[in-house]
Amino acid sequence: MSKEAQLSIAERDFILEALRENVRLDGRQPDDYRPLNISFGEEYGHVNLQLGKTNIIVRISAEVTKPREDRPFDGLFNINLELTAMGSPAWESGRTNDIEAYATNTLDRIIRHSNALDTESLCILKGVSCWSIRADVHVIDYDGNITDAACIAIMAGLQHFRRPDAVVRDGRVIVYGVEQRVPVALNITHKPLSVTFHTFNDSKHVIVDATLKEEQAAEGDLVIGINSAGDVCYLSKYAGAPADAMVIVKKTNVAWEKVKEINAAVEKVLQADLAKRAKIGMADESRAENDRLVQIE
Amino acid sequence: MSVPLVLLPSDEVPQDHLPTNNSNPLRLGPGLRILSQPSSKGSSHVLTATQAGLLTTDAKRNTVSLLSFPNRRYIPTVNDFVIAQIHHSSVDFFHCMVTPHTAHALLGQLSFEGASKKTRPMLKQGELVYARVQSVGVGAGAEVELTCVNPATGKADGGLGPLTGGMVFDVSTGMAARLIRASSSSAEHNDAIEGLVVLSELGKKLESLGGFEIAVGRNGKVWVDCSNAAESAVKVTVAVGRCLQETDQQNLHPHDQKKLVTKILRDMKLVS
Repeated sequence: MSKEAQLSIAERDFILEALRENVRLDGRQPDDYRPLNISFGEEYGHVNLQLGKTNIIVRISAEVTKPREDRPFDGLFNINLELTAMGSPAWESGRTNDIEAYATNTLDRIIRHSNALDTESLCILKGVSCWSIRADVHVIDYDGNITDAACIAIMAGLQHFRRPDAVVRDGRVIVYGVEQRVPVALNITHKPLSVTFHTFNDSKHVIVDATLKEEQAAEGDLVIGINSAGDVCYLSKYAGAPADAMVIVKKTNVAWEKVKEINAAVEKVLQADLAKRAKIGMADESRAENDRLVQIE
Repeated sequence: MSVPLVLLPSDEVPQDHLPTNNSNPLRLGPGLRILSQPSSKGSSHVLTATQAGLLTTDAKRNTVSLLSFPNRRYIPTVNDFVIAQIHHSSVDFFHCMVTPHTAHALLGQLSFEGASKKTRPMLKQGELVYARVQSVGVGAGAEVELTCVNPATGKADGGLGPLTGGMVFDVSTGMAARLIRASSSSAEHNDAIEGLVVLSELGKKLESLGGFEIAVGRNGKVWVDCSNAAESAVKVTVAVGRCLQETDQQNLHPHDQKKLVTKILRDMKLVS
C-alpha cells in the first residue's frame, strides 16, 4: 500500500464546490499559507518546521572531503529527502515513491542549481579538500505541500548553520573545534523559496499551500521557485491540466509576495535565536571566569 | 454518576459503578472486557479495562463503556457506528475502507434497508456509507463486517445507509466518541464532565439558516450536510467542520467552545 488513500466522491465534490465560492476547508483565502512555525534545536542547523499539520525536521551537517575531479574549486552540497512511514502510513521505508522523487528534484533545482549556497566558498585547498554540506530532510507528519515546507526549512537551516573554521598551514588543513574558534556561517548568495499552487475547475481557482485533501482534489499543480529579489529560478508545470499563461504571470507575483513574507518571518526567528545564543554564550564565559577566580583564591 | 472514575488497563470496574437497571442485559462498550475468574464461590465474572480511560455509564440503556483518549488510530469494536468509504465491490460484498491503509471491511450487498437482489444500492468506488460494525472476528487478519440494517428489525436505525452529498471532516477518535455521547439524549447530565457544547451551540446559531445534518463515525470521521441552507450551504458546512476540528485540536473548554463558534461564524460571514 504505497499510495495515499483516495478521496471520497463527496469530499472531492465538496472541495471543488466550496472553491467555486472561494471558501477553503480551513477558512483560508486562496493566497494564504497555513500558520508557519519555525524553531531551532540546540545545535546549529537543526530546524523544526510546522506548516499547518505538515511537520518537517531538517539537519544540516558538514564534513571535510575531497572535491570532485572536474570541479577542484567547488565544495559539495547535497539534499537528502527520505519519506519514511513516520510521515504517513502511505509511505514505505526503502521504497521510493512519486512524491519523493518529485520533491527531491524540485528542491535540488530550486536550492542547489540556483546556487543559493555558494559552493566555491566551501573549498579549503584546491583539489585536495573541501567542505561537504549535507541537508537531511525528515518528514514527521504529512498534510500536503511538502516541497514548500522542506524548502523553507532547508533555507532556514543553511542560514542558521555554522561550520567549524578550517585553515591551510604549510599545505596541511587544520580544522578547529567549535570551542577553539568561532564557527563560520555559510555563504548564502540568495534566498529562493518554492511556492506551490494547485489549480481547480479548469484553472479558474488557484490556491497556494494546499492541504493533503486539497492536493488530492486538484487537477494540476504549478511550482514557482523565486527569491526575495523577484528572480524566478524555477518554474514547473509538472502534471495535470494545463494552466493559462496569465495565471502563471499573476501567480508569480503572488509567489514573490509570499517569499518576501516568509523570508522576513524566517529572518525574525533566526535573529531571535542568535540573540538567545549570544546571551547564553556570554553567560557561559562569565561563569568560566568566575571559576578561575575561585581557583586563584 | 457523581465522581468521574479513571481506569487503567487491567483495573477492575467496581461493582457500585455499574448501572443497577437489571431489566436488560448489561452492554459493554469498547475498552472493557469480561473475564471469568475462578474463586472460592464458583466462577464469578469481572469487568476489566483494556485501555486507560474514563468510565462512563448510561443507566437508561444499561451500558457501561470506557471513554478513552483521543487516539488517532481506530480499532473496530462491535456496534460502533462508522463512516466507511467504498473501495470496490465484489459479488457478495462491498469492500470498504474504515481507516486508510488497513485491511478492508466487508459490507454485504444486501445488508441495507429493504435490499433485495434487485433493489440493492449500486455503490460506486469512493461513495460513503454510514454503517454499524457487526462483527470483528477473532485473531489477526480477521475480517471486520459492517452492516447498514439492524438485523432484529430490518430497519436502518439511526440513519444508517449511503451518505450522499455533504462533506467529511477528520477528527480524533476520542472526539468522535464524545460527539456520539453528547448527542445521545440520556447523556445530558454528563455534560459537565465531558464539556462538549459545540454542537448544541452550532445548532442554536445555525437554526435560522436551515440547520445542518451530521453523522459521526467512531473511526474519527464526521459527515456534515446542510442541503437545507441553500446559498450558504457550503459556508455552513465548512463552519461546522472547522468548529469541530478546532475544538478537538485545542481541547477547548465549554466557555471557549462558545467563543470559537461565534468567532468562526462571524469569520465566515454567516451571522453578524
